[in-house]
Amino acid sequence: MNIEIADVTRQFGRTRAVAGVSLRTGAGVFGLLGPNGAGKTTLLRMLATVITPTSGSMRLLDRDPGAYAARREIRRRLGYLPQSLGYYPGFTVAEFVEYFALLKDMPPRQVPGAVATAIERVELAGKARAKLRTLSGGMLRRVGIAQAIVNEPELLLLDEPTAGLDPEQRVAFRLLLRELGARATVVVSTHLVEDIGVACGEVALMDAGKLVFHGTPQELTAKGEGHAIGDAPLERGYSAVLAAARS
Amino acid sequence: MTGTFPPPDSPPDVDLGRVWIGVVGEVWRRRPGLLERSAAALLRSPGLARALLTTPSLLVPWLIASVAVLGAGAAATFGTGQPIVALMAPAVAAAGIGYAYGPGIDPAWELAASMAISDRIVLLVRALVVFAVYALLGLAASAASGVAAVLTVGWLIPMTLVSALALAAAMVARSANVGVATGLSGWTIMVLSWRAADGRFTAAVTYTAPRAALYLALAACCGIAAAFAPRVRKGTP
Repeated sequence: MNIEIADVTRQFGRTRAVAGVSLRTGAGVFGLLGPNGAGKTTLLRMLATVITPTSGSMRLLDRDPGAYAARREIRRRLGYLPQSLGYYPGFTVAEFVEYFALLKDMPPRQVPGAVATAIERVELAGKARAKLRTLSGGMLRRVGIAQAIVNEPELLLLDEPTAGLDPEQRVAFRLLLRELGARATVVVSTHLVEDIGVACGEVALMDAGKLVFHGTPQELTAKGEGHAIGDAPLERGYSAVLAAARS
Repeated sequence: MTGTFPPPDSPPDVDLGRVWIGVVGEVWRRRPGLLERSAAALLRSPGLARALLTTPSLLVPWLIASVAVLGAGAAATFGTGQPIVALMAPAVAAAGIGYAYGPGIDPAWELAASMAISDRIVLLVRALVVFAVYALLGLAASAASGVAAVLTVGWLIPMTLVSALALAAAMVARSANVGVATGLSGWTIMVLSWRAADGRFTAAVTYTAPRAALYLALAACCGIAAAFAPRVRKGTP
């Protein structure tokens, strides 16, 4: 299991953003769905070791992220795309990806090839030497994905990865997700239900900090039978589970 | 007998994808300058050296550290004879630098916080650079002013050396906490030993009310400059 968390909570002052989430998952693409404020981003930030849980236990890639050496090893094998990607506008695409490859402690000799591969995979080869300030929002999102996958991560965490991508890019991205999920655990947080249906083998739904559903996209679809709200079957399942959780 | 293609002794098929990646990797590769190569050798980490030289701008952290120290100096001036500022100066300045590279100002903070090279060790390196810039400017000003010379020799250069010691300890122990503890211990020992020698430890920042006004004025100037300094634009694609 690449992710094993048990009864994890995270509190910000009096607000409980994540309230007792337990989850176990191995290789494959894992979709994390939920409305705004459900706690998806906080959960992802804990998995990315950016913040620590207030309580509960967590093991990532068979290591305890609470220990310094283990956390460093996890981070070497981790790829993370935050919801809001900050960047240095004076960097070129290649410089930005290279910078994070070095901070991930990749062997320097492997870095040029890994940077080129990551940029090719997000189809930004034509912009490799362009300054970030000159790129569109969708291109910047792809730069963010490139830095996340540059170290061939075993655990890839993507927060709203398709935000700003056009339909053609989203299709290409789903293909990339499936390819990456063949050997790594890929957690995709999104509120775009259609991304989950196509690319994910497993899906979880969060609401008010809690996990209210965990299963396959087909199982989520089945939950929506006879439910009226939603245009697509998966959307109806999503709405039905949320309605049941809130009732 | 007709010929075969490829001939039996020909090399295996060339993976053009791999060749292409090799070529573009070389074309796009950045050639680190002498400074970065030296820093990488010294720190034994190309990532750390890159983080150090990628520091978007030293200006804002430098100004914020100045505001923190001068503001604390002015506040302590109203007390008398206590080594509060001298004792706390590196920690106060480091907190200012930490703030400057924190989530509010450094656009890539969130990503940096998830990296294998500890963001706290990166912060120690950046603190060393900020203090070193302080010391260099102090040395330059020493040529024109005796007060600047006293400040530089008695305060700025030791602060730079202590932060270098902290970084060295952190690198050896592979722990930023060990580095910070070493730095704070070193500074405390140094200040207390000065006090034992001649009691001049507070001369630079705590003395009289007019000096407090001067520190406050300088802190205000630094604050205004920090507020208006061109900052790294935050990206939220």
